[in-house]
Amino acid sequence: MANVTLKNVTKKFGDFVAVDSQNLEIIDKEFLVLVGPSGCGKSTTLRMVAGLEEITEGTIEIGDKVVNDVPPKDRDIAMVFQNYALYPHMNVYDNMAFGLKLRKFPKEEIERRVNDAADILGIQPLLDRKPKQLSGGQRQRVALGRAIVREPKVFLMDEPLSNLDAKLRVQMRTELSKLHDRLQTTVIYVTHDQTEAMTMGDRIVVLRDGVIQQVADPLSLYNEPKNVFVAGFIGSPAMNFLDAKIVQEGDEYYIDGHGTFKIKIPEDKIEKYSVKDYVDKEVIFGVRPEDVVDANITHDFDVTDYNSFVAEVEVVEPMGSEIYLYLAEKDHQMIARVEAESKAQVGDNITLGIDLRKIHIFDAETEEVIF
Amino acid sequence: MQLTLKDIARMVGVAESTVSRAINNKPGVGEDTKQKILSIAKQFNYRPNQLARGLANKQTNMIALFIAEMKSPSAIEIISSIEKAANQAGYQVILCNINHDLAKEKAYLELLDTNQVDGAIFAGGQLADEHLIKASLSGENKIILLNRLTEELLLPSVITDNSRGTYLATEHLITQGAQRIALLTDENESLIKEEKVSGYQKALEEHAIAYNQNLVIDSQGSREAGYHAFLELINLSDPPDAFLATNDLLTVGLVEAIKMGGYFIPLDFLLVGYGDNLLTSIFDPSLTVVKEPYQELGQKAVDFLTDSLAGKKLAEMIVVLDPVLKIRKSSIKN
Ligand SMILES: Nc1ncnc2c1ncn2[C@@H]1O[C@H](COP(=O)(O)OP(=O)(O)OP(=O)(O)O)[C@@H](O)[C@H]1O
Ligand SMILES: [Mg+2]
Repeated sequence: MANVTLKNVTKKFGDFVAVDSQNLEIIDKEFLVLVGPSGCGKSTTLRMVAGLEEITEGTIEIGDKVVNDVPPKDRDIAMVFQNYALYPHMNVYDNMAFGLKLRKFPKEEIERRVNDAADILGIQPLLDRKPKQLSGGQRQRVALGRAIVREPKVFLMDEPLSNLDAKLRVQMRTELSKLHDRLQTTVIYVTHDQTEAMTMGDRIVVLRDGVIQQVADPLSLYNEPKNVFVAGFIGSPAMNFLDAKIVQEGDEYYIDGHGTFKIKIPEDKIEKYSVKDYVDKEVIFGVRPEDVVDANITHDFDVTDYNSFVAEVEVVEPMGSEIYLYLAEKDHQMIARVEAESKAQVGDNITLGIDLRKIHIFDAETEEVIF
Repeated sequence: MQLTLKDIARMVGVAESTVSRAINNKPGVGEDTKQKILSIAKQFNYRPNQLARGLANKQTNMIALFIAEMKSPSAIEIISSIEKAANQAGYQVILCNINHDLAKEKAYLELLDTNQVDGAIFAGGQLADEHLIKASLSGENKIILLNRLTEELLLPSVITDNSRGTYLATEHLITQGAQRIALLTDENESLIKEEKVSGYQKALEEHAIAYNQNLVIDSQGSREAGYHAFLELINLSDPPDAFLATNDLLTVGLVEAIKMGGYFIPLDFLLVGYGDNLLTSIFDPSLTVVKEPYQELGQKAVDFLTDSLAGKKLAEMIVVLDPVLKIRKSSIKN
């Protein structure tokens, strides 16, 4: 069993808090992704798990054992980093066998492990080659191979694909996910790329300024973001945020965009969440570009006065199977991601429908989600 | 308007050192603050002058050379090549003799942690352990390895292809007619020793000569060890007809023992030594030796260090240089 547990883990560099009392339970065999903008503490967190960084406060456990004082080589982990090199004068086999030779493994065991790893990675035919005779992707596989042969309980990967070109990166993502299925080990994976996080992670941890914002599976993160930061970070193009106010008219509640739009809050939301507490208060209205539709195209919900508004099209950006519309209405701006058949042209004033099932509002003060 | 660090610090409401960290892209500044600082600096076209920058970064223009041992002539060659290259680049060198003692190495790391030097070159010795990786990753220190291997290949390294040297030497001895080539190794070299053995094995294999464990003597790598290795080998029921020593002290002890025994080189035994230096040059006949490219190694290590200190991205992380075989009289059957 290789659960990894962080309890109140804090890392300070001088007075600067890089990682702020993190609590996290990483489940055995899980593919967990740490994601967040540059400088949010992803690498620092990973290095503390690896033992390459002292822990200022709190404890880290690997498989029920506190490892704060356990040196990296005794932690049963293997690391793969972005700028991971290979020894150019050694062939692939020797590069992969290097760590095992160091640990004085018997020759047969080394052979077995290197061959197994080479099979898994599909690099069996390359074992005699020198790194110079390999493509970027093949080299990255060998670097992975060096980690795999150690048969660790936990793999730690810090942006291992960021040196590869875009196409290869996409391909390696899929391969890494498959690899994880085959190896059945815990992986902690760091990236600043939300797409990478969403496509690879069983669960995702969103970090900001050293603080965990949310831990969830990709779908929940997308559908139920806990705050404005997570909502804006996950998804591309990012969620639209518009300042608004909650107003009550009789039994009905509306999101009022200061005269720009007025959207009715569905009844189920009113009952379930604390909407009534926010009457006449400032909120942030959030809707994803994919949930703003061109009213001229039929969808699985009706466009009425209560879920639509008119805006001017400022930019039309065709993306192949869909179109991004950059819209403006008074001082509000937003993006809609509409179907390719949309006829909207720059300068048009068009009606846009909002899928009320998918909308969010956030407390303007705390930026925490209301629903 | 010519803006100073102080002005920016006042405008953002942070310490001067924070502004300096942000501008010099050093860690320890929150992202928002950093962006604020950078945008003001940009807006007012702030350019730190060279002197101020030196002060802010506490540049010392000193680098530390951690050397594994100082007993062998090759150590002297490494030291002098690094010193020369460093001086040319405007750096002075502080010498730290590790003497194969990990505790000593950790103690000397203070120099880096307290910013008394700008960076360090670690030459020779055991595998670069996690304390060096830590010092480099989390301590943000500039560290270069020279002839020192590491498992996590994260540190820029300049190394000799050690298997190449023994391969060339062994092959040469075989073409000179040797069939039973003794190999003298230094156990302190651990992985590098294994590379040397693998080059030897490869040459034997290519010439269909069976590897004979009895002919390989692993020792402390000293002059005495070289001497004793000969005594041990000459007493084998099937003694060697050629010798290959894999460091300079072993070479010296070995030659002394052969001469002491009243044997002649190359008449009785062919011999290839290690290191092209004063010690190995005094023998008669002149010794064929494996020569490591110390000049180039030192120069390359200093280049790596100055480049990373200048914030340049290194085109390659690991440079491997080939040793050369200097063929003289000791290995030529006349
Ligand atoms: N050795 C150090 N000394 C001081 N501050 C540091 C040190 N290492 C990191 N930091 C700071 O800690 C914070 C977190 O750094 P970390 O490298 O973990 O970020 P990250 O999320 O991995 O970012 P990136 O996506 O850019 O790799 C940053 O603000 C960084 O400047
Ligand atoms: Mg990082």
